Amino acid sequence: MNLNQAFKIAAKSIASKKGRSALTMLGIIIGLAAVIILVSFAEGQNKWIKDYYASLGDNTITISASSYTGKDVTEKLYAYCQKMDEYIIGVTPNDSVYGNYPVKYGSKTMGGSKNEDWESRPQITLGNQQFTICNNYTIEKGRDLAYLDVKNLNQVCVLGSKMASSLFNYADPIGKSITINGTPMKVIGVYSETDPQNISGKDRVILLPYTLRRYFPNGVDSGNFVAKAKDARSTTMAVTLLNGYLKGLIGDQGYFSAETPNKWQEDSNKQNQMQQMFLGGIAAISLLVGGIGIMNIMLVTVTERTREIGIRKAIGAERKSIIAQFLIEACLICGMGGMIGIAVGYLGTVIVCKLVLKFIVWPSIGVTLGSFAFSVAMGVIFGLYPAIKASGLQPVEALRAE
Amino acid sequence: MVADMLIEVKDLYKIYNEGKENEVRALDGISLRIDRGEFVAIIGASGSGKSTLMNVLGLLDIPTYGDYHLDGTDVTSLTDKQQAHLRNKQIGFIFQGYNLIPALSAAENVELPLIYQGLPVDQREIRVEEALKKVGMFDRADHRPAEMSGGQQQRVAIARAIATHPPIIMADEPTGALDSKTGRHVLEILHSLHEEGSTILLITHDNGIAATAERIVRISDGRIILDGTREEAGL
Repeated sequence: MNLNQAFKIAAKSIASKKGRSALTMLGIIIGLAAVIILVSFAEGQNKWIKDYYASLGDNTITISASSYTGKDVTEKLYAYCQKMDEYIIGVTPNDSVYGNYPVKYGSKTMGGSKNEDWESRPQITLGNQQFTICNNYTIEKGRDLAYLDVKNLNQVCVLGSKMASSLFNYADPIGKSITINGTPMKVIGVYSETDPQNISGKDRVILLPYTLRRYFPNGVDSGNFVAKAKDARSTTMAVTLLNGYLKGLIGDQGYFSAETPNKWQEDSNKQNQMQQMFLGGIAAISLLVGGIGIMNIMLVTVTERTREIGIRKAIGAERKSIIAQFLIEACLICGMGGMIGIAVGYLGTVIVCKLVLKFIVWPSIGVTLGSFAFSVAMGVIFGLYPAIKASGLQPVEALRAE
Repeated sequence: MVADMLIEVKDLYKIYNEGKENEVRALDGISLRIDRGEFVAIIGASGSGKSTLMNVLGLLDIPTYGDYHLDGTDVTSLTDKQQAHLRNKQIGFIFQGYNLIPALSAAENVELPLIYQGLPVDQREIRVEEALKKVGMFDRADHRPAEMSGGQQQRVAIARAIATHPPIIMADEPTGALDSKTGRHVLEILHSLHEEGSTILLITHDNGIAATAERIVRISDGRIILDGTREEAGL
């Protein structure tokens, strides 16, 4: 008997027992689909959390540095960070002003009133030409703060999107002058929206060159900086370097610290890992239950078919023909079930991720192939083992099976 | 003319649970010779060992002790594979319970031993048609066993047994599950096969059926107690 004939006999046998074949496949389909969906969902969730922290300001380093002796930290820190461009992209002062100053354009006034909601107050912040990049802003209109604006004490400002829309409605703010506590400031740029829910107040920012401190009589919360590292790996190195440099610069004559918001992320990562392990565990259990289902049906099937094996042996089937038939049958059923399971798993992943995470995650090839191999192996091993046993019986013993 | 010996067994034993309290001697020293072209009925009461004898002669079971030569070949020393080949080429089986594969059609059931023989598909088709026509079942070739009556199933089983043109047909109670009219029809087919030159070994407990054979072997408690013509057997 050649392979082609064994294949035909196996296909015929599957087709004639549709219910049983479908049940076997169902075990594989459910097991595989569950693994693919759960693992992909866990991966998607992981990505979601990473993206969330990245949007908060990945690779940013917050620095506090102040010298009691009045030594100018800003210029020196800037110069040092420029030199460390292997790890650090930029550094900016990030000073907010004390007090609540009125910001005016035409008849519109924001701030300056005690009764005003915190949610609509302008966030007047002093920085340099690297403020935008260090705080993950992007310029939507006009231009960014330039080195010369800072150096020449130009009375210019960049507005957050909410600030721009509150003061100007739909008019173009670029080139217009606003007044802050009576001092005119020309609007040179507007940032894109970063925080539609207005949680952080980032879109209510008014960025001024840090060299304009003297316009704020109530003083400035100075000594705050934000630096941005090149990537996640550089961040650790940059923190170490900055702390070392600030220690040399300030030492006991003031205070300093450089740290990352990544610590929160680490905590959250740990939690996420636990959750992934949990989901992975559930997935493994579904696969195992599916596998046991396959095993059960295969064992029942072959016990049921021992008589058929007896008949086949009586009319001259060799042992290897019978084993080949059962092997091909198991491979066909499990292979088809596996493919359907993968399709269902991918479809389910897309639906679940789209509904819950709002973006599509494609399952990993490794997980897909691994669980496919596992379920097919379960089917083949448990389909074949009893066939090997039954085909070794004397035909009369197999014929006696009921 | 010197008779052509086809089956020869000497001192054949089949003992279950040998040496234990519940020892059963299904075959207890059987010696028998069957020549080519004979029609032999093996008769005996239920449990006498006649089915065990057929299973051993048909290579479906192995004896505990004894010699067995089939067409000159010592079969007791053959491998599993060689025995499968002998069953396929030399023997056609007809069972009381038909033993058709339920998932396959009549034609596919008949084709199965030819597939195992490795015959090309065109030759298989010819043989299947020829066998089914011989038993009058060609018009039901596409029917599954469940769609046929007992007599029809048995005729398909006979077609399967003769499709490979084996020299020996072994029938174990072939009419046991059939009504008397259908049983007679099946018996007629066996006789026509005999006339065409097949050696028939018929196992039955029914004296009426055994009486149609030319030679009767009566078994009791695993031993042959009579081997002769139907007149000698008193049938």
